[in-house]
Amino acid sequence: MNTVFPLDPHPGVLVVGAGVAGLACARDLAHRGIPVTLLDRGRGVGGRCATRRIEGQPVDHGVAFLHGSDPAFLDAVRSVPGATILEGWPSRIEGTGTPCQPDAFAPGERRVAYAEGVTAFPKMMAAGLDVRLVTTVVGMRPEGALWRLDLAGGGTARARVVVLALATEETLAVVDGLPPGDLELEGARHLLRMVAASVPCLTVIAGYPPDAPAPAWDVAFPETSSILKDVVHDSAKRPDPKWTVLVMQAAARWSRQHAGEPVEAWTQGLLSETARLYGEWAAHPAWTQVRHWQFGRTESGNELAGPLVVGGAGGRTLGIAGEVFAEGGGVEAAWTSGRLLAVRLAERTTG
Amino acid sequence: MSEALGRLEQIVDHEREHECEGIGAKRLCVRPVSVAVLPTRFGDFHIMAFWNNRDGKEHVAILRGDVVGREDVPIRMHSECLTGDALGSLRCDCRDQLEASLRKVGALDCGAVLYLRQEGRGIGLINKVRAYALQDRGLDTVEANRALGFRDDERDYAIAAHMIFSLGIGSVRVMTNNPDKMKQLQDLGVRVTGRIPHVMPPNAYNRFYLETKASRSGHFIDFSGRAHLPEQAEPVVVEGMPEP
Repeated sequence: MNTVFPLDPHPGVLVVGAGVAGLACARDLAHRGIPVTLLDRGRGVGGRCATRRIEGQPVDHGVAFLHGSDPAFLDAVRSVPGATILEGWPSRIEGTGTPCQPDAFAPGERRVAYAEGVTAFPKMMAAGLDVRLVTTVVGMRPEGALWRLDLAGGGTARARVVVLALATEETLAVVDGLPPGDLELEGARHLLRMVAASVPCLTVIAGYPPDAPAPAWDVAFPETSSILKDVVHDSAKRPDPKWTVLVMQAAARWSRQHAGEPVEAWTQGLLSETARLYGEWAAHPAWTQVRHWQFGRTESGNELAGPLVVGGAGGRTLGIAGEVFAEGGGVEAAWTSGRLLAVRLAERTTG
Repeated sequence: MSEALGRLEQIVDHEREHECEGIGAKRLCVRPVSVAVLPTRFGDFHIMAFWNNRDGKEHVAILRGDVVGREDVPIRMHSECLTGDALGSLRCDCRDQLEASLRKVGALDCGAVLYLRQEGRGIGLINKVRAYALQDRGLDTVEANRALGFRDDERDYAIAAHMIFSLGIGSVRVMTNNPDKMKQLQDLGVRVTGRIPHVMPPNAYNRFYLETKASRSGHFIDFSGRAHLPEQAEPVVVEGMPEP
């Protein structure tokens, strides 16, 4: 068997998905002295906390800012070494539409962004952890008291404890591929079917020359648009931006309707709508990039109270975390679910 | 205006700016905001509505007679259950338990039903319906129910205790079949002077308790084969049943 790790089976926990939920879980397990390895198909950690560098300028094209009320989460968010923390960003809000996370501006909620880009947060969490990037899990099945993961390219990895910290739909696809199991597995499978309701988000990043009339707001939530969910004035987060950058995120319904069309078509749709709402200049960027978030976010109110743990033969254990596995949704919930899952897995490991 | 209502209005007035650092691990604070007469089919009450420092849930106290400054006041804690309380669901016994407590308190000269607005198991009605959906398929495992969330009892106790303090009730007798409820309230600083068993009269919907035994999982199975979960965090007792 072509195992990708020096130790087979892995002596601790394999975490699939190095987004905020997976990282929070892995970090907590590592603190408890449990060996942990993260696998992620991407080229960087963070999942939807995603930053691109465009001609050296960071651009957040997924999560635009972090927000929360749990003091432990806020401590973590504010303790990123070397990062320039923009406390209270965004402060200039245009429009009265609903934010992706309706609670983001509730009393008691704190907001934070980073001048270096939102990936500063997941990168801080990944520091010191064993993270295998560009490693895609294509299959999973039980093998005695172990889980066996098949990786793209033919490798395998085995461990007694596996954590899935992916979009709910992706986790469901993995769990649906497992052979029929006991009540606990079937209960978990059914529960995943009930909560798998992520919404897509078509995203356009548009760069304008410095003499463009930069908007006087940080984030716009248009109340009258059926096309745009929000527009983020990303370059407002950067100390000395070369480009004025807007990140346009499409509404869920519109994203579903247009996802099958050529990229140029929906890019034009989002640019035109932004121009209609905020000025003709927005229709003529110097450049654009796009991102199609297939599982962009979850609707609030869909969340469960905590992560799932499914036991199996010989102590084989499957843990499931993610933003729908804690109250409130969003990055804070992803972080909370990962930490809760680590506590529960550690309880099991130590009996 | 009755003397009792006058005293309750004084409390609302006096507490107008109340916001303490909260009680219990979750630091919950409630504040009486308004009080009015509430005649019901179970008797005449006053209803007092409370603000709280955590969420938009408006908890209420349903009060009989003059409870302010009184000792040994009978109280019942009832956790909101939309499906049972309002819709008459037969998946739980909440409606019977609520009616029995209102009827009992309504016949006393002094007492209170604290109606705690925390829906169902977990963080909302959606997850309660999900739990029922799993139950329908026989997939309501401990793990799935844990992810769906159990009732946050600790929160209910903190709210109830603070309500008792806000009302200036000196000591209480708790209407419950779960002695742990008394201890929980005591731990939060409430003076508990006794327990009143919460016994319901038998009717067509709870008669099965008299004729069947609890299943292995500890739940009673009704005549239609459905498990009744102890949503009010205590065993159901119907007249004619031995006390648990």
